[in-house]
Amino acid sequence: MITRDFAYHAPADLGGVTAALAGGDAVIVGGGTMVVPDMTHGRTTPGVVVDLSRAGLAGLTQTAGGEVVVGATTTYTQLLRGGELAPLLRRVAGGVTGGPQIRNKGTVGGSACYANPSSEIPAALLALGARMRLASARGVREVAAADFFTGAFTTERRPDEVLAAVVLPSPDGPAFGYHKLKLSESSWPIATAACVRGPGGWRVALGGVAATPLLVTIESADPRHVRAEVARVLTEPWSDVLADGDYRRRVAPVVALRALKEGEAS
Amino acid sequence: MTRVNVTVNGRAREIDVEPAKLLVHAVREDLGLTGTHVGCLTGDCGACTVRIDGATVKSCSVLAVSAEGAQITTVEGLAGPGGLHPVQQAFWDEFGFQCGYCLPGMLLTACELLEDDPDPTDEAITLAVNGNLCRCTGYHAVKRSIRCAADRMREGS
Repeated sequence: MITRDFAYHAPADLGGVTAALAGGDAVIVGGGTMVVPDMTHGRTTPGVVVDLSRAGLAGLTQTAGGEVVVGATTTYTQLLRGGELAPLLRRVAGGVTGGPQIRNKGTVGGSACYANPSSEIPAALLALGARMRLASARGVREVAAADFFTGAFTTERRPDEVLAAVVLPSPDGPAFGYHKLKLSESSWPIATAACVRGPGGWRVALGGVAATPLLVTIESADPRHVRAEVARVLTEPWSDVLADGDYRRRVAPVVALRALKEGEAS
Repeated sequence: MTRVNVTVNGRAREIDVEPAKLLVHAVREDLGLTGTHVGCLTGDCGACTVRIDGATVKSCSVLAVSAEGAQITTVEGLAGPGGLHPVQQAFWDEFGFQCGYCLPGMLLTACELLEDDPDPTDEAITLAVNGNLCRCTGYHAVKRSIRCAADRMREGS
């Protein structure tokens, strides 16, 4: 059980959310799959909880300019059922562990804001060159995914801000690849690689291997080139109960190569 | 306390809960439906699985207060008194459980899978139950049970 009481708000729109957050001391619940267990186990003890589930922030839309706006509370299941505009994110959603119960509740925005190094969404957003749309009572600002993830479990989001949406600069089209290494069916991933073809080569984002996702540009899937580029950015590999940093350093280029192989075949 | 209105297994219910109360505790203590089990309380094991508006969720990761207006199905709602849902019958016939602790969650997850995909591949069955931890069966009997239920439900339809 959650042993500390809190005030609970489930605003009906984004304006209500930003008003509820204006005090700056609230915890935001998106799908709740991480934050609610954290409250149960005393890892977070909020005085105020703001629940996004009624705020109408779910769904994918495409702007006249071609950008794809993914609402923050879009669940993995919604991506699987209607994510044609975001095929890489849909691909990631299909492999999220924890069962359909987690895919039904877990959200794109929640995964991004929780910023667990092992989560898959942050690296995918980095590969896609996403912009994080943050709203507060003071207004709306956008932060590049490359600047959003500032450390393990920390982001650029300020306490009075809510991530309203992630904006993908263009539909990623068919040229992408994705690979995930995990040691058992229901395990968190140990390393992920998402690659998207860009003008200067492949944008490859490595997830799970460092405190924040890492981006490298790969001109060709030549193994020596990939190993050198991954080694150049992976200077401080992440260690946890699943694997130590040295193991992640060894597998990261292999995972990247497998994603690139899939991308080149796409 | 907050008044929460829900429809549980087809019946309208009203409960008063603190915002900090988890849905799994509200289901067991306030609604009196103890077929939903408390397991890990971390969202891993799936013993607390219920369906909200048709979608399976882990009710340890849901605040009861957030369920206002929801249609909730628990294991007690699968079949009428004295009867078994075809998925329950298949788990019985194929020895799909031993201690039974994970069983309510397995059953609800299997029902959702078979409604979405009446003839799932082995891979789809594996993916469907990867959020329901069983430490007795080794999953072979679970997957056999779901396959059996799928075959019977298709033949019966």
